[in-house]
Amino acid sequence: MMPSWSLIAVWLPLLVVAAVQTLKMAAFSYVLGVIAGLVIAIGQMSEHRLLSKACRVYIEFIRATPILTQLFLIYFVLPSVGLALPEFTAAVIALGLHYAAYMAETYRSGIAGVPVGQREAAQAIGMTRTETLPYIVLPQSIRIILPPMVNSAISLLKDTSVASLIAAPELMLRANDLTSEYYMPMPLYIIAGIFYFMMAYPLSLWARHLERFARRGYASAHSVSR
Amino acid sequence: MTVIVTAGSFVVSIVLGIISAGCATSRSPVLRAISYAYVEVFRAVPILTQLFIIYFGLGSIGIKLNPIPAALVGFGLNGGANLTEVFRGGIGAIDHGQTEAALSIGMNPLMALRYIVLPQAFRIVLPSLTNFAIGLLKDTSLASAVAAPELSFDANTLVERTFQSPEIYILLALFYLAMSLPLSALATSLERRSARGHRA
Repeated sequence: MMPSWSLIAVWLPLLVVAAVQTLKMAAFSYVLGVIAGLVIAIGQMSEHRLLSKACRVYIEFIRATPILTQLFLIYFVLPSVGLALPEFTAAVIALGLHYAAYMAETYRSGIAGVPVGQREAAQAIGMTRTETLPYIVLPQSIRIILPPMVNSAISLLKDTSVASLIAAPELMLRANDLTSEYYMPMPLYIIAGIFYFMMAYPLSLWARHLERFARRGYASAHSVSR
Repeated sequence: MTVIVTAGSFVVSIVLGIISAGCATSRSPVLRAISYAYVEVFRAVPILTQLFIIYFGLGSIGIKLNPIPAALVGFGLNGGANLTEVFRGGIGAIDHGQTEAALSIGMNPLMALRYIVLPQAFRIVLPSLTNFAIGLLKDTSLASAVAAPELSFDANTLVERTFQSPEIYILLALFYLAMSLPLSALATSLERRSARGHRA
């Protein structure tokens, strides 16, 4: 069942193009997730009861249902209310809104990791609440936030494969197409797996590096304060 | 089907995770390298790709698995890699003196792991295990792509079908909510309890 080299030479360029589409989908959804996640995190911490409740419900709903279900809701159910989206856009929105919920939790734990004294001190010198977050709290929470954010990028990159199930153009869809054309699932899916590995493994090394860095920073910050 | 696949692959994942974490914390560099490679490969490749390799790939070279066993193998292998990190963290949190004490009274490393370290580590990893179970429950939705390939490959058929009944997907989401919300409540209460035990 080994494909000939000439066959692989036919597949590879097609799969590389598809891998770039995967990266594009992941990048767009990631940006959407980062921004929407921050909005949700801020909404959740707001003193407005209804707003913070709504954000909480959103996070719980997203985290309790599979990404596949959410993708199907956006792609198949929205058209019935007159909002038909192209596959790629639907996938980006579904992935972005999905990861926004997880990132909101990441932001929240990062913000909670900054001692309250910092916020109080900022307000004591006359900064408003809206100034305190971007200038005092967020910069300090980055060290806590960054490792899980990179881990989210890895998960997101892998989850783009689910978009093939609504026929959005990316790596898995291309592998599926080539499989139905050549009927060689084993080599094709393994090549697809190698592609994913090549994209995700550097990120995973980086995440590990950041985790070590965050822990070291934490330890030294504590020894200084003692 | 979701419950069977989730429960089955949960058990497979735990067994593989413990074995692999045992290898990761062992003194043999070969075992450590095997565990490392296993974890990195299975965590860097999407579960959907793994399922397709197991179901369609193995099927094409004569190892035909039914959808449910294929899902058990796929989710089990993938989960084992994820749980390796969890168990390794749990084992690492147990004071090394415990292992040394066990070895000094004549246990071999395997016995020390089984009777001394794992029972204590299990308590620590329990909340993570529950969270893993929630993730698994949701991931098993992907098994449908293997069980009914025509559903996933032919999106057009799906569109036609679902235009008639978008309610199906809303219902589906509600089903998942009903299954995973109790689990996540359990995770929260376990976390709270283990935090209390820690303080006491």
